[in-house]
Amino acid sequence: MRGQFLYHAARIVLGLIFLFACYDKILHPGEFAEVVYNYQLLPDSLVNVTAILLPWVELALGLSLIFNVWIPGAVLLGNLLLVAFFSALLFNLARGLDVSCGCFSTAPGEEAIDHFTVLRDMSFLLVSGYLFYAALLSGSPAAEKAAWPRAETE
Amino acid sequence: MPAIIAVACLIGLAVNQFRPDGIALVGDWSQDARFLDAAGDSLVVSIETAEQLFRQERALFVDARSQREYAAGHIRGALSIPWQEVDRYFIEMVDRLEGPHTIITYCDGETCDLSHDLALFLKEMGFENVRVLVNGWTVWKQGGLPTDEGG
Repeated sequence: MRGQFLYHAARIVLGLIFLFACYDKILHPGEFAEVVYNYQLLPDSLVNVTAILLPWVELALGLSLIFNVWIPGAVLLGNLLLVAFFSALLFNLARGLDVSCGCFSTAPGEEAIDHFTVLRDMSFLLVSGYLFYAALLSGSPAAEKAAWPRAETE
Repeated sequence: MPAIIAVACLIGLAVNQFRPDGIALVGDWSQDARFLDAAGDSLVVSIETAEQLFRQERALFVDARSQREYAAGHIRGALSIPWQEVDRYFIEMVDRLEGPHTIITYCDGETCDLSHDLALFLKEMGFENVRVLVNGWTVWKQGGLPTDEGG
């Protein structure tokens, strides 16, 4: 029962994080493209497409986690995204590029990447890592395990 | 997972297509396209031209980085107008900005926007002949051109 509670709590928290993250980016595609460009990781030709699509992927992912649908895919995707963001942060910190995080806001100079943003990302990774374990590794198919009604009869 | 991505991408593309502030699928991120003035003309000056103007003493360099970075090293003869405190420094330096020279702003890093912001500000303040040397401090040093410390 406790495991069930933790599982659903983690799922909803991670879902909310992605919803918060996509909101400003969806509103300001031009500014977000600037953020993506500044990371200097993607070829120029992929910058705009990423800026257009990524926020919507975050939105769909957040909704999927919160409403408990397509959970295995959502959990896998969430982990992949967070690992990618985390690597991008670390890589740019390591090479000393002074870029704004663009994690939750697209305003230029809003939040520079630093150790705090890395730690914050790590805490998200812990949550998503736990979900990965609970939903995909711990045995029973996630969809069954995650469904609210069945959880209560267990 | 493919379903989530597919749905999101379709919606994302559709919304971008129809919203008034949608962006091009493939953007032009070249230097000339990124550093524009209010009229849409490129502000970028090449390192070769910048060097030439420097040798002919027809350039006035303006460092848009912080005072601390300026003190650690800057282009020889450059003024310091940190973008963070532009109002204060601008009033102090305004007399020295006047003249027949080309004002060339710079900061450090391919993606540094301080010099661009400063150049737009100076243009707005009425200085016509303003240029940006992109990634200025780095390319100046790489070219082995004269620098100063302190200030």
